[in-house]
Amino acid sequence: MESLNSATFDAIRLLATGDSELWGIIGISFRVSTTAILISIPPSLLLAFMLANGRFPGRRLLISVFSTLLSLPAVVVGLTLYLVLSRQGPLGDLRLLFTQSAMVLGQIALCVPILVAMGHSAFQAADRRAWETARTLGASPLRALLTVMHEVRFGLFAVLLAAYGRIIAEVGASMMLGGNILNYTRNIPTAIALETSKGEFSQGIALGIVLLLLAFGLNGLLHYFQGKGRFAT
Amino acid sequence: MTSFVNIQFSNLSKRYRRRSILDGVDFKLHKGQCTLLCGTNGSGKTTLLRIMAGLEKPDTGTISTGLGEIKWRSYRRALQAKIMYLHQHPYMFDATVRQNIAYALRHGYSAAERDKHIDEALQWADLEPLAGVSATTLSGGESQRVALARAWLRAPAVLLLDEPMANMDQESRLRTHALLRQLKSEGMSIVLTSHDELQFQSLTDRQLRLKDGRISTDSIQTQAENVSAFPIGQTARHHTA
Repeated sequence: MESLNSATFDAIRLLATGDSELWGIIGISFRVSTTAILISIPPSLLLAFMLANGRFPGRRLLISVFSTLLSLPAVVVGLTLYLVLSRQGPLGDLRLLFTQSAMVLGQIALCVPILVAMGHSAFQAADRRAWETARTLGASPLRALLTVMHEVRFGLFAVLLAAYGRIIAEVGASMMLGGNILNYTRNIPTAIALETSKGEFSQGIALGIVLLLLAFGLNGLLHYFQGKGRFAT
Repeated sequence: MTSFVNIQFSNLSKRYRRRSILDGVDFKLHKGQCTLLCGTNGSGKTTLLRIMAGLEKPDTGTISTGLGEIKWRSYRRALQAKIMYLHQHPYMFDATVRQNIAYALRHGYSAAERDKHIDEALQWADLEPLAGVSATTLSGGESQRVALARAWLRAPAVLLLDEPMANMDQESRLRTHALLRQLKSEGMSIVLTSHDELQFQSLTDRQLRLKDGRISTDSIQTQAENVSAFPIGQTARHHTA
């Protein structure tokens, strides 16, 4: 108990004093995960909308596939992309392995199924009249889609939070694809894994606190907007 | 661009699963005319209206204008600027009444012009006191007035309304009636459905009765004069669509 207290105290001190190594790791984590989710959002939500509202061959199969991929282990994604990006792999010439780009690819592979499968559910909850009304009022398909997204914004925001929470906290893919290189590909989860294996708990706890604060902050934001009732149209 | 003067739908049929909803319906849309589609529940009124609105694709049938037959895809493309469809319970976006009406405004106006036109639409439908209210909290009658204000602002060539007075109290019916009369007087072609033909007798020029997916009677109405009990729908239109 005493060692836990001491490690937690050290962790807070590291955060408060602006430890450059620690904040560098945090910066890499946010940069990689934010890039991954920003790239994933447009195609994933478009596909989710089409799966919820379209009628085309293979639709049910796609829904099943993305629902299945929700439970895809991060290490399996890491292993698959490792084989693809390694020297002998089909994309080995791109020399992406052990770079932040490889980590972004891994996190895209992890968050797309979440965005599609859960986004599909969110769009299914939308009133079909929203799309029809927007279209009959002269909205282009893109504007009508944005209108429907606005109508189900709280559901979609929860989907984004779930996806972001999943990728910023995953270890397997980042470890295998990034290589856990200090000041380059070491992010919060891989740093926690490394420091814990070395018996250095302070930095691990400090990074854990950051993840918890992030989750708290994002959830607080969701509740704030839900309570406020609406964004500007 | 398709001309919506005298558009003809021929031999329309539509099935849902194994049930036939429309079975060889012929219908001609005349400019400036108000047509009532009546019939019992399940007679195919709403399906016919939704096909006209481009929201449902018929299983068979053709659409033609004075220029000849047009494909379904072309019809749908041409629809957006010309036809407007109002649901039985009009959908209100999660925004204020003013923002809901603003959605219908066409592009190309300055901010000042937009505000002016929206104010006119609010005044036209007697919605000024509700301008800042959340549209999702409105009653059925108020929602219908917002929907009609959007139609007035958008000024489509054809307005399609599905049971526009369903579940309304007498006052809301009179208000809705007055607004529809105003839209018709501006030259808008109107097609509406109702299971109660008497409600719209003074408004409609033509009445089609649907039965078992077919048109059983097609009659021309003789209109009675009907003076509105509500002085609404009198705002002059200053913009052109």
